[in-house]
Amino acid sequence: MTRHLPAILFLLPLGLAICLPLIGIKHREWCRPLSIGVLAAMVPVSFANLVGVLQNGTIHYDFGGWAAPVGIEWVADGLASVMTVALSLVGLVCITFLSSVLFPYLGSRIVPFYTLVLLLIASLTGMVFAGDLFNLFVFLEVSALCAYALVGLAGGKALVAGFRYLILGTFGASLYLLGVGYLYAETGTLNMADLAQRVPSLVASKAFAVGVLFMFIGLGIKMALVPLHGWLPDAYTYAPDRVSPMLASLVTKVALYGWIRIMFWVLGAQAVVYQIRLLVLVGILGALAALVGAFLALSQVEIKRMFAYGGLSHIGLILVGISLGNQTGFVGGVFYLLNDAVMQAGLFFWAGAIIHLYGVRTIEDLGRLQGGAGWMSVALVVIALSMIGIPPTGGFFGKWYIILGAVEAQNYLAIVAVLIATLLTLAYFVKLFERVFRDRSTQPPPLIREIPLAVKIGLGATSVAVIVLGLMSDHIVSFLLKNAVPPGL
Amino acid sequence: MFEMIGGWLQRPNYIAFVLLFLWGIYIMVTRYNLVKKLIGMYLMQTSVIFFLVTTSAKRGATVPILLSTTEIIQPEAYANPLPHVLTLTAIVVGVATLGVSLALADAIYKKYGSLDEEEILKRLE
Repeated sequence: MTRHLPAILFLLPLGLAICLPLIGIKHREWCRPLSIGVLAAMVPVSFANLVGVLQNGTIHYDFGGWAAPVGIEWVADGLASVMTVALSLVGLVCITFLSSVLFPYLGSRIVPFYTLVLLLIASLTGMVFAGDLFNLFVFLEVSALCAYALVGLAGGKALVAGFRYLILGTFGASLYLLGVGYLYAETGTLNMADLAQRVPSLVASKAFAVGVLFMFIGLGIKMALVPLHGWLPDAYTYAPDRVSPMLASLVTKVALYGWIRIMFWVLGAQAVVYQIRLLVLVGILGALAALVGAFLALSQVEIKRMFAYGGLSHIGLILVGISLGNQTGFVGGVFYLLNDAVMQAGLFFWAGAIIHLYGVRTIEDLGRLQGGAGWMSVALVVIALSMIGIPPTGGFFGKWYIILGAVEAQNYLAIVAVLIATLLTLAYFVKLFERVFRDRSTQPPPLIREIPLAVKIGLGATSVAVIVLGLMSDHIVSFLLKNAVPPGL
Repeated sequence: MFEMIGGWLQRPNYIAFVLLFLWGIYIMVTRYNLVKKLIGMYLMQTSVIFFLVTTSAKRGATVPILLSTTEIIQPEAYANPLPHVLTLTAIVVGVATLGVSLALADAIYKKYGSLDEEEILKRLE
């Protein structure tokens, strides 16, 4: 039974996504509870899968009974199982939030809306488990298609942002597919484990090097690595407030996970492209992304856009962590990735809630909160502390392990980049706090409306989660060190 | 130098792939009309599919299907079927993307009354 858990985990949201349009014909009001129920069911299944993997070792799930190099396989190892636990937990909180009564009523669009959200979750699960380069491409595209449609759902400016996202995303996907084609032409295999065995003999091959670079650029667009991030700020700013948390916390992170999987499990930590170590390249780009993202965030006036740029900087920090080439840095990066999924969700919950509760979109208007509104202020402070990296929150320990890894690797440039990014993050949150707690100039009394339960759950769960991640960081990191470190690192 | 060019000329398919791919990107970047951008995007996707099929092309090859149980398996006589299968999936993905993108373009046209990117950006402000 445990063998089938990865497939069950995928089939739960997919099955409902397929049934929902039929159920929705008669019972539109069932969409919401059914979707939340399925995500809630994914949580114990993902935990069971994690326990099963820890007890019995990595699960290789062959589809259609064809064994690995010939057939398509899914690999549920330590890292993938941890990722799915995070995915289902964050997904559950996000779907609870987006069902809130706070947002405008969707009417008949509620059915396709939940179908898209469930398909997105299913395809992200597929990406995490994929053990085959082409399979990864398919899930990458399914998740991207759902994301384009969800962004465009808001209408108006979101349509244009969604269109740009689609053009760039498809360009990225085509580059990735081209890279896969190069690797296939060179090796004759698409299976990651099989390919990994053939990589050492390909050091001199130009087709291999070009293919790897195409794949990296393709996934770089999908994860919004800084010079390739053009689509992200607009898409996340104009996306419907109810879906931006889910997009920001899951979509780019899972694309980043896909690259981690390829870089360490296929190419190996020592991979060299045109005499440059791939890890060094990734590290430099990551440091650049961390600085540029945080710097751009500092100069934004729109709150959602500021958080979107903050997310870009964190993608960079995660890449810096994993590129250090030692176990501490890798685990720090992965731990930071988990934290970032939670923090991004929390920040966009907050941004979405204040838009609908107080009508605040820009930093100038933040004075309307008048420092009151307990839930909003406390959640903002807790998540911001984690974003900046102040103990005892998860963000601090993530950065701490990344810096430890950098010291171990004697990569002082990485330390400088992490510290400057931290200072810039501090700067833009101080700018935010200044308005929230000190600004008394805006006189009109805030439109106090009861904070809906779903918003409280969203903000509460993410705030508690960053603190729990911080307090448990010791256990989580040693657990990751034991179970989720790639071979040969 | 001549050897290199001669080598290229023996592989016209790959040259065609590179031209189509770059042409697609060129259309995507330079055209302001959203539908023309989509045409460029689709051209680029198709060129990648063309590349995948090309890698498995083989002169005088046949399908890898055994007609009887006694037939001797000759791997060199068959064309590699896998890239064709990948191609099928990639075509489906491409069509789905095109569907979503046309729906978005349609919604943009209904909202802003234009498909010209500059015009739309003007109206956004």
